[in-house]
Amino acid sequence: MSKFMQLFINTIYERFSANPAKMLIYTGVLGWFLSSTAQISAIAANKNIPKEQKYFLIPQEIGDGAVNILSFFLITSAIKGYASKLVSSGKLANIKIRKFLTDSGINIKTKDGWKIKDDNFDYSKFNIKDLPNYDSIKDDYESFKNGMEVIGMTVGSIISCNIVTPLVRNMYASSRQKAKLAKMNKTQLTHPRGISMDAYRNMAYAKYGNLKV
Amino acid sequence: MVNRVGNISTILNYGNLKHKSVQFALNVSGSNKKLPTMSKKADHAVKWIGKNLSSAENRLILGASALLTQPFIEASNKKVDDKTRYYAMCRTIAKIIACTFTGFTIRKLCIKSINAFTKLPNEITDTMKFKKLRSCLLPTIEITKDRLEQHKNTLGTLLALDVMIFTNFFVDAPLTNLLTNLFVKGGRKNE
Repeated sequence: MSKFMQLFINTIYERFSANPAKMLIYTGVLGWFLSSTAQISAIAANKNIPKEQKYFLIPQEIGDGAVNILSFFLITSAIKGYASKLVSSGKLANIKIRKFLTDSGINIKTKDGWKIKDDNFDYSKFNIKDLPNYDSIKDDYESFKNGMEVIGMTVGSIISCNIVTPLVRNMYASSRQKAKLAKMNKTQLTHPRGISMDAYRNMAYAKYGNLKV
Repeated sequence: MVNRVGNISTILNYGNLKHKSVQFALNVSGSNKKLPTMSKKADHAVKWIGKNLSSAENRLILGASALLTQPFIEASNKKVDDKTRYYAMCRTIAKIIACTFTGFTIRKLCIKSINAFTKLPNEITDTMKFKKLRSCLLPTIEITKDRLEQHKNTLGTLLALDVMIFTNFFVDAPLTNLLTNLFVKGGRKNE
């Protein structure tokens, strides 16, 4: 196999194999872009859809692609990041990771449950990976974090793609349709297709010769 | 950061927010009182999802949830006339069905085909054909079993993206048009 291809495979492995949610975001965005482009051409080519409805459906599809990409990065990435932060800061953990945090002096176990040892402890600066014995729970931690990120990403994409995007794209498409229809009607009003007075007079003379206008 | 969170808590009257999830969400970067720990069952479920939910399953979940939400959002769009609303609803359902079907099938097939060429040496048996090619998509750096599974999913998804450049135009789009026309006609007959 060529060196370039092997480098590509190794890079993919290094970048995404430990973080599949990241890959799902990038491929999802690319997929939406491709899909929207194809769907726009399909609407334009569909002879069974009237022109007035196409004025809504085409902007709707453009909005779908654009808002999807935007909301994917804003909402999906944010939820995925939140899930990731919960795990990396030790805020949310499984039993094994919690025990590791206790052994490392971060958490303590009381009769009410797991608690933080020091009240002034700053979670924003803490990352489990920085702890000296991190390697002992590396595999467990990584698979748990992956799972939480994928869940976060899936929930995020349901919210962004199936709720936020349809609402926003419809607002955009209906305003575009209104503007387009108004423009179309205005064009018809400024350039009436009725016959001119001279043409009417000629027709009247031709049909009713004795008629005086 | 602790002070900032403290200020936000004061503004939102944090002390009065009794719901645990709200308190937890507000307190991500600050100190906390009690730490949630997942049970063994929940932990297994989370890890299983992380390991087995590839882009194909992700597409299927998105498609199924889209069918539950998007047609209703279209139907309640009062900013357009009845006819446009009807066409938009038919097209949305058609698009979800067509795109989910092809998206899931192509991703799944691509991941399977990548799987055939990322075999570890101990997985290659004598009965296999094209033995030399069976490990051609394996990375040459140090690999672990779990990460290799994700690597297969990633390569399969990337291959699927290439395939979908064509199928989006030659399968998804015509299929969406066909289903849209069918739904529009079917709906009119029922009227």
